[in-house]
Amino acid sequence: MSLEKITNPLHVRHWLGDMEADYIYTLGVAGEHFLEEIKENGRIMGAKCPRCNITYVPPKMYCEKCFAKLEKWVDIGKKGVVHTFTVATIDVDGKKLEKPVIYALIKFEGACGGLIHKIGETKPEKIKIGMKVEAVFKPSFERKASINDIAYFKPAE
Amino acid sequence: MFGKKRVAIVGAGLTLFRRRLKETGKELSYEAAKMALDAAGMELRDMKSVVMGTAPDAFDGVHMKGEYLADGAGAYHKPYTRVFVGGGTGVFTPLAGWWHVASGQFDTCLVVAEEKMSSCYPHPQYAFTTIFDPILERPLGMNLIWIFALEMHRYMHKHNIKKEQIALVSVKNKRNALDHPCAQLAANITVEDVLSSEIMAWPVQRLDVSPTSDGAAALVLASEDVAKEVTDNPVWIDGVGWCIDSTLWTNRDLYYPDYVECAARMAYKMAGIKNPPKEIDVAEPYDPFDYKELHHMEGLLLCKKGEAPKLTAEGVTQRDGDLPINPSGGLLGVGNPIAAAGLMKVCEIFWQLRGEAGKRQIPGDPRTGLAQAWGDLMQYGSVIVLRR
Ligand SMILES: [Zn+2]
Repeated sequence: MSLEKITNPLHVRHWLGDMEADYIYTLGVAGEHFLEEIKENGRIMGAKCPRCNITYVPPKMYCEKCFAKLEKWVDIGKKGVVHTFTVATIDVDGKKLEKPVIYALIKFEGACGGLIHKIGETKPEKIKIGMKVEAVFKPSFERKASINDIAYFKPAE
Repeated sequence: MFGKKRVAIVGAGLTLFRRRLKETGKELSYEAAKMALDAAGMELRDMKSVVMGTAPDAFDGVHMKGEYLADGAGAYHKPYTRVFVGGGTGVFTPLAGWWHVASGQFDTCLVVAEEKMSSCYPHPQYAFTTIFDPILERPLGMNLIWIFALEMHRYMHKHNIKKEQIALVSVKNKRNALDHPCAQLAANITVEDVLSSEIMAWPVQRLDVSPTSDGAAALVLASEDVAKEVTDNPVWIDGVGWCIDSTLWTNRDLYYPDYVECAARMAYKMAGIKNPPKEIDVAEPYDPFDYKELHHMEGLLLCKKGEAPKLTAEGVTQRDGDLPINPSGGLLGVGNPIAAAGLMKVCEIFWQLRGEAGKRQIPGDPRTGLAQAWGDLMQYGSVIVLRR
């Protein structure tokens, strides 16, 4: 094997600079409704297109297929199904994570789309594609209208 | 075809692909563009328009990267456009060049693709962390490798594919790259090497993945009249296709790339191709990960859904097989400077159809070839069909 070794950047004459800029992202019309419902009521909401009969989760302000404006909100419950998952073992720097993290794409019955989230209260070897999972919310005083107000999903029946 | 002019490729150029090159992005662009012009026997003054393809500004670390790179691409005092469709950029760039000439507006177009990922320090992975939805995904700490792991796992699950079958792609491409003078990660490795390499996010392991790179590639496009003046050996752009799926990647099944099929069908229709596996002699589908070559062969309708691993195991996709796939060595072997990597694939098909691929030349007088790239957040497909 003769795989290339990472070149030391200092071997090429260079200048170190940055592109400093911070950002404020508004949640948006649909996003604010979605995350406020999670924060205030512990509910996962979708938005339904009456014309296409599609419920988008996470909700959108408009239907991407027919361009209708979406105003009908649907509570889709806390339970979903693991559509696919991964067990992350290294971080963005390539360093080993202290504990592997399970990330899954969770789909909800009758909904188009799904949520990407962590899976907890189980071990990587126990998780399977197709298994049912349920959202575990943080206590209400800790919630701040973030996707992380859902602490993780856990195996459900 | 009413109103459209036929467009030929008459020259190609490619720089080395390396983790970090001394040349700036402008200089890399210049080297590739100059090489393509020399190959075509043409001068910069013969180029009536210029199209530049380059991926996120965050890699080079220059906002307005299109403008920054313009002089290196030969755009001084010329009609110039920068295009960007994520990882799909490299194959999309000649598509944009194609419509410059096909429209009849320009007789020639210089097409350049560049990426200098090593400017992003300590690692270009950091630029990828900000491609996710800032409200719903970034707070979870998403990382690019993880979403590929999710897609790869879904693909494996759907068709009951084993890691051993997928690893064969990495073995083949890195070996093919041994014959490529620009290659960064050419190697003789085994399936065992892939399976024992570091696990990044299961099922993705270190040797399933292409490296980040610096590099550039270029093509000279010409109208039929000009092409016939400058060469006896033009390669025609006979099919173009591009398509984007839902931007919510969670809205798709992930096991099959619909958007690639959509782009391929558009290109096949234009090229009059009815039976892709029979009519395509050689293909360069996008392979930033080994499973993506298989995924894309299926999306390109080169085989049935779930059948690509079997063809790979049978040797059909080797250079001397019935359907050579990534004879260049692909992104896994040659390297992955995003936009330049996609255009490298078009260069390879150009050289294969002209019989100029040297040690990489596939046998059997190929006449029709295809290159494809894929990008954005797993939902963009760009396809080009070339004929001699
Ligand atoms: Zn609709």
